[in-house]
Amino acid sequence: MSAEIAGVVGFLAMVGLMLVGMPIAAVMMGVGIVGGMLAFGEAFFVSTASIAWGTMSENGLTAIPLFVLLGELLLRSGMADRMYQAFAGWFGRLPGGLLHTNIGCCALFAATSGSSVATAATIGTVALPSLQRHGYRMSDALGSLAAGGTLGILIPPSVNMIIYGSMTNTSVGKLFIAGIVPGVLMAGTFMLYIWAKAVIGREPLRHESVPLAEKLRLLGNIAAPLFIFAMVMGTLYMGVATATESAAIGVVAALVLITTSGKLKLELLTGCFLSSARTTGMILLVVLAAFVLNLALSLTGIGEALTKWVTGFGLSKTQMLVALIGFYLVLGMFMDTLSMMVATIPLSFPVASSLGVDPIWFGIFIVIMCELGLITPPVGMNLFVVQGIRPDRGGLEDVIRGALPYAVIMILFTLLLIAFPQIVLWLPGQM
Amino acid sequence: MKRLETLGAWLFGATFVLLSFAVAVEVTMRKVFNVSLQGVDELGGYSLAIGSGLAFALALVARAHIRIDLVHERLPRGLRIVLNLVAVLSLAATAAVLPVMAWFALSDSISMNSTAQTPWATPLRWPQAAWFVVLAVFAAVAVGSALRAFGFALGGSTDRVDHEYGPKGTREELKEELADIEARGAAAIAGELR
Repeated sequence: MSAEIAGVVGFLAMVGLMLVGMPIAAVMMGVGIVGGMLAFGEAFFVSTASIAWGTMSENGLTAIPLFVLLGELLLRSGMADRMYQAFAGWFGRLPGGLLHTNIGCCALFAATSGSSVATAATIGTVALPSLQRHGYRMSDALGSLAAGGTLGILIPPSVNMIIYGSMTNTSVGKLFIAGIVPGVLMAGTFMLYIWAKAVIGREPLRHESVPLAEKLRLLGNIAAPLFIFAMVMGTLYMGVATATESAAIGVVAALVLITTSGKLKLELLTGCFLSSARTTGMILLVVLAAFVLNLALSLTGIGEALTKWVTGFGLSKTQMLVALIGFYLVLGMFMDTLSMMVATIPLSFPVASSLGVDPIWFGIFIVIMCELGLITPPVGMNLFVVQGIRPDRGGLEDVIRGALPYAVIMILFTLLLIAFPQIVLWLPGQM
Repeated sequence: MKRLETLGAWLFGATFVLLSFAVAVEVTMRKVFNVSLQGVDELGGYSLAIGSGLAFALALVARAHIRIDLVHERLPRGLRIVLNLVAVLSLAATAAVLPVMAWFALSDSISMNSTAQTPWATPLRWPQAAWFVVLAVFAAVAVGSALRAFGFALGGSTDRVDHEYGPKGTREELKEELADIEARGAAAIAGELR
């Protein structure tokens, strides 16, 4: 059996096992160890030992538990919940009204948290009752929340970027900075769509204007999350701190803010610690498994053979990227995004770099593909989350219909990034 | 069980909170006074090795290790139970392999007297021994969980294998998230909105 065939069969078997509900980490680790040992015997297992220690003691990956902990602290202290009021005051008068608030709020929330379930669930719980009272069409409301929530992994900090960075030896700091412009632009295109839809559909304005003094007072609600974002991104951008260090600074800043506002309680900390330990354990076991699998792929030469096979089709860079959009669109319909990312990077990254795609740019591309996977049916985590919190009764098809335009926007946006890679690369180039 | 879980979570949390303060001091010293404490990076790596071992076990107890429930929830009950047993066994096998890997790394470091390539030149046997211990704990928890599942299956409580060992669906995950939101009173904030 040639290496390409072994690779393709192995990949399909792996995806099949994942789809019937086998634990993702166990599948990847199992395929990696069994494959590697079939080829090299015990020697392979000995090399996994040094990979395991190398991965699990890599200070760069320490950023994952730290950012997860930071997100939990902001969430559980209630800082995130109060942001909604501020945004409602500022954006309520635009055509499309509170739908803009959903996007803006998700974007800022995303800036402090890496979890899309938490983003969509929190903003959704605060927003949906008020959207319903003001008579917004449910599918529009649900769609904007599902799509807005996906910004969580594009706007830094982002756990997905840390994983991509460590798997491909790309600077996480540069990836974070590279996510800012596309993140803000994508939020902007979402809002543009909402505005255009409201103007074309002649939808009435539903909100009275809020007095300026009130608006200014409401700004106080976003001061804390903005301060933390500025601390984390500022130290990173100015080169004062690495990604891991900036995460630690964020944790300290959050703890200080929570303590000074008198909210620091034992049960708050227990909740934060328990929840961040679970999330971290889940992420890192998959990452560790991916490293073992990656080792097997590179030592057996299957990875290289697959790269050669794919590049052998002779597609140009642009054609290949468009083909990859299709590949990730289909895979993302069925797979959880984290698993999809770690399982495919060992194959797609070498293909992309052999065609001269910039590694930072490709990281942003992969993250947007993950975002797309979060809102494409039948398996789209964010679709399920907003469906689960809607206050009225209705089918999942409302959510799917509401989110579909955003999926189209994301694909068009990715094509824009292919045409103008500088949108991604300009800001990190200034560092 | 609950108490052990809380203890584990605090060990995990305290490790990273202390690390965060150490890093904050280091960054401040470095930028403001141009003095480096040295070795905080290394400490971060060891914190990760030990913290992640604990985190694996806590995630296992909470059934947080990812499984996709797309096909699984549509299968007949008998098949679901068999798949749950295979899944819990595969996780136990994965968990059991990790301390073996750690043992290989540790015995290597002991026989070669390896030290870290850092200013501290820490003998690697110490952090790796701690790493081995937390991974052994994870393995014990995972094997225990598998034995419990097989105990249920053989004792005829197949319902428990179906419910307590299945993939944690979105519905369940969302329920927990919403309970959290409730607990921190976000709903009250929603009520304040016009």
